[in-house]
Amino acid sequence: MNDEVIVRLEGVWKVYRMGRRRKIEVEALRGVDLGVERGEFLAVMGPSGSGKSTLLHLMGCLDRPTRGRVLFEGEDVTRLKPSALARIRNRRVGFVFQSFNLSPTLSALGNVELPMIFAGVPRKERLARARELLSRVGLSERERHLPSELSGGEQQRVAIARALANSPDLLLADEPTGNLDTETGQGVLSLLSETNREGVTVAVVTHDPEVAAIARRRVRIRDGRIVGGDDV
Amino acid sequence: MFDLLGIALRGLLHRKKRSWLTIIGILIGITAVVALVSLGTSMQLAVKRSFEELGYDVMMILPGELGGGFGGPASFGASFEIDVDALSQVEGVGEIGLMYYASIYVKASENEGFLDALGVSENIFSFFKVEQAAGRRFAPGDRNAVILGVEVAEELGLEVGDTMEIEDRPFTVIGIYSADSRLDEDAILIPLATMQDILGTRGVSMVFVRAAPGYRVEEVAKRIEAFLYETRGRRDLSVQTMEEVHEVVQRALGILGAFLGGIAGIALLVGGIGVMNTMYTAVLERTREIGVMKAVGARNSQIMLVFLLESGLMGLMGGALGTGIGALLNFAAVAAAKAALGARVLEYGISWWLVLGVLGFSFLVGSLAGLLPARAAAKLDPVEALRYE
Ligand SMILES: Nc1ncnc2c1ncn2[C@@H]1O[C@H](COP(=O)(O)OP(=O)(O)OP(=O)(O)O)[C@@H](O)[C@H]1O
Ligand SMILES: [Mg+2]
Repeated sequence: MNDEVIVRLEGVWKVYRMGRRRKIEVEALRGVDLGVERGEFLAVMGPSGSGKSTLLHLMGCLDRPTRGRVLFEGEDVTRLKPSALARIRNRRVGFVFQSFNLSPTLSALGNVELPMIFAGVPRKERLARARELLSRVGLSERERHLPSELSGGEQQRVAIARALANSPDLLLADEPTGNLDTETGQGVLSLLSETNREGVTVAVVTHDPEVAAIARRRVRIRDGRIVGGDDV
Repeated sequence: MFDLLGIALRGLLHRKKRSWLTIIGILIGITAVVALVSLGTSMQLAVKRSFEELGYDVMMILPGELGGGFGGPASFGASFEIDVDALSQVEGVGEIGLMYYASIYVKASENEGFLDALGVSENIFSFFKVEQAAGRRFAPGDRNAVILGVEVAEELGLEVGDTMEIEDRPFTVIGIYSADSRLDEDAILIPLATMQDILGTRGVSMVFVRAAPGYRVEEVAKRIEAFLYETRGRRDLSVQTMEEVHEVVQRALGILGAFLGGIAGIALLVGGIGVMNTMYTAVLERTREIGVMKAVGARNSQIMLVFLLESGLMGLMGGALGTGIGALLNFAAVAAAKAALGARVLEYGISWWLVLGVLGFSFLVGSLAGLLPARAAAKLDPVEALRYE
């Protein structure tokens, strides 16, 4: 095992079964080998439907491969129980989605607290940490606001703060600027770079070349296979 | 756990109207449960009190078969003659009290009419509670003396020492009894001998017998039954012990309680189904949010707990409000019974254990109703949940 690799996919297939009798098979990933090194900033690029999101979910232990292995920090997570996977997602991984996916019933502060609640962090410590993160993304003034009272850019910044709540090793972002205008997107991107500079490994799914340009490494995916990139 | 409660609360508050409607569903069921259970308790307590006042060492000799119950009109229906001296010789028989019930004609200044009257032996007060509001009780030698219920006294404008006419004979009011007595406050008491004299009879309506110290009531009752059969040659009288009567009444109340409880249970079931429906809708609506919670590391058990707490809270709120309304209904019933029937016939049927029990129960109903929806939420596949539109 290479200590420098935070997550490694080995011959990973993901097959979705669809239709009434689950007979139609969709091969979202078809034998992917990919290692993400600690501290790197990786961009995953490819056309729509090529399997980018699926890949990201597998890297973040949100899903399990149909075939092949996923090693997270050296541990084969393919056969781990759901609760063990939940624990990895909670402590080691942070997700940022294209559509922000904030909890509509919770305030900005509450959303940032959420991963820490599930981790069992005591309230006082949790509040202090959530406030610190909100101030880091420039939203100290908005902590009481509900997601519906925030702009898209602000919501995505809350989502990033939430993803960083439990000090993850790996930040996974699925088209984080896809729903934002260029300028707001720039703000979110610089937040991601900053996070990466502070030592957090970042992987971003995007089909925006500008986003990819910021990354230190790019891989290209098409029809469920890695077809190119800086190192391929 | 406490923090998950916060999340659950937010979920409830976010869809206020639907939460309230669901809570009302539970509220109705719990109101029914509390109102009916407390009413049953009210009746049982009242019955228990009246029997305790009478004492369990007392039995009654009544015409006919067991079932009329103390105070029921059936037991006052017919009169019968009995040899009291011979009865007092039966082994184990202690004090004997006699009573004759009749409706008789009274007249006081401008007012006249028929009143319920009890002709009683002077020791009758040791058999059941008569609260003296004024004056005294009967003493040996009293003939044309009368004790009035407080309502009669007010209506006729009579006080202790005044005179009135009963069946065209002059009587002196020697006492007035209050509403706290075990007698209707619109009745009057006169000495048994006087009553028998007026009506030209030697009969009584009811005989109270207290078991002598050291004797078991059931044994004495058997001896009295044997004595009655021996001396009368037929079984036209029955001996009822308080135990027996109490049992019959409690059994009847128990059946009534079960019946009412069944109705309340159905109401609660409907309320529970309402909670289940709301929770299924909530899980569906919040599928994406559940996906997010899983993505940020919520364990299935934690998701389940959030939704269980949410439905349990709805149950608890419905339970709290329903308990309040049910308790008010019980107070109203006690007040209404007092207004309608005069004497304090019902006791308050609300107790702490009932309140706590019902609150716990309603939380349980809410949680149980939320169990399947919460499980459905916990079992969602995170990726599919996140893709849900
Ligand atoms: N839960 C699912 N059930 C069935 N098919 C699925 C499921 N998830 C993804 N797919 C299919 O797998 C393929 C890859 O999907 P994926 O979401 O990974 O693509 P993507 O590269 O992220 O696309 P986009 O850029 O549009 O987000 C697609 O053909 C998609 O239809
Ligand atoms: Mg995608």
